[in-house]
Amino acid sequence: MMTPEPAHGAIGLDPQACTSCMLCVRECPTWCIELGSHTEEVSDPGARRPRTVNVLDSFAIDYGLCMYCGICIEVCPFDALAWSPDAADPTADPGGLVLGIDQLRGWFATPSDS
Amino acid sequence: MRLAGEPVIVVELTHLSLACCALEVEAALREGLMPEEPDGPPGAARDVDGHVLLVAGTVTEALVPAVRAAWERLPEPRFVMSFGACANSGGPYWDASTVRSGVDRDLPVGAYVPGCPPRPDSLAAAIRSLLGSTAQRMPA
Amino acid sequence: MTAVGAGAPPGPGAAIPEVPASAWEQALRELSEAGFDCLDFLTAVDRGHCRQVIARIRRSADWQAAMVSTQVAAAAPVLASATGVFPGASWHERETAEMFGIEFEGLADSRPLLLRAQPAKPPLLRGEFLPARVARPWPGAAEPEVGADGRRAGNPSRRRQRPLGVPDEPAQGRP
Repeated sequence: MMTPEPAHGAIGLDPQACTSCMLCVRECPTWCIELGSHTEEVSDPGARRPRTVNVLDSFAIDYGLCMYCGICIEVCPFDALAWSPDAADPTADPGGLVLGIDQLRGWFATPSDS
Repeated sequence: MRLAGEPVIVVELTHLSLACCALEVEAALREGLMPEEPDGPPGAARDVDGHVLLVAGTVTEALVPAVRAAWERLPEPRFVMSFGACANSGGPYWDASTVRSGVDRDLPVGAYVPGCPPRPDSLAAAIRSLLGSTAQRMPA
Repeated sequence: MTAVGAGAPPGPGAAIPEVPASAWEQALRELSEAGFDCLDFLTAVDRGHCRQVIARIRRSADWQAAMVSTQVAAAAPVLASATGVFPGASWHERETAEMFGIEFEGLADSRPLLLRAQPAKPPLLRGEFLPARVARPWPGAAEPEVGADGRRAGNPSRRRQRPLGVPDEPAQGRP
């Protein structure tokens, strides 16, 4: 079966680049992204006060809802989301279409060219 | 329809063409599935591994009775395939008052195929997930 | 009435000729007699104090389009049916009745069209919210946990984010 490349098969996540800013979650038309995070204080050498950073705890896309519009990719200021030529597999359980960081990280490793 | 591979699967697809996904199904059938010679009137019991109701597209509230009726007419063994975001959950129309938020609110879905639309190869993968184990039990 | 919709097709933002509700059926009949024989669509817009009903009719000879509108009071949204002039208006009026709560006098077919269960209020009126958007928790409401020192990252006085198309939360702590 021929699938043209680069294909918009799925959306991958680079958890290292994500700052938990929530822009993708809030712009998603189908509300299909869920993100969990917490804040931590980081002390930089020489800094007078520690700074507060967001730490990503969880990130999931419900591929049963996703309409593959790519708005989340467009709005991400840190290029933490990208198209992948791979695609989510059919499942017998609708919950099986909710894919978390482990799956999404793997897809980020094989980004499409566009 | 005959799905090549191991095992070979013979499936009767009842394609509910409800929206744009229906076009993708036709393209996928053309590429990946061989038409089987008809050996009886439509809906008659045949030597098939299963009957699949392929729900492709947006299930509007107004169409729910027709979708149910199509399912009730299918002989056993029968399965529902939800093809694409609309049939899975309402997809882009998840919040619309005129759209059912997933055909699984009305029918027992055996395979959810993600995508908007799904890619062609996932149709064959979903048929295999529904009927692969049954087909192996059938005598060749 | 002969000037209604004649000439160039109305472009975006162009005013749509308006007639009194009492003259609605007559206006459609005059258009029909002027060769505008094909009803393209009929729908409504909630203007708050009134509901505007709009029809576009085409002339099959040259596909020229004419538009005409009228207003019905929000308190008594009743209008003569266009089905006496254009039988095909039935489908549009059933939809407009269901979505905007307008009663079309003389419409023979009053079966629901798109909704199987009629909600308490017509869903396309301004001020109505899509129930699914209200019922489902918005994932965008999540914020990073408050830090160990009790301070929230960012501006703590920032207004809580709300999704589009849902009512604001009622003010809390007020009588």
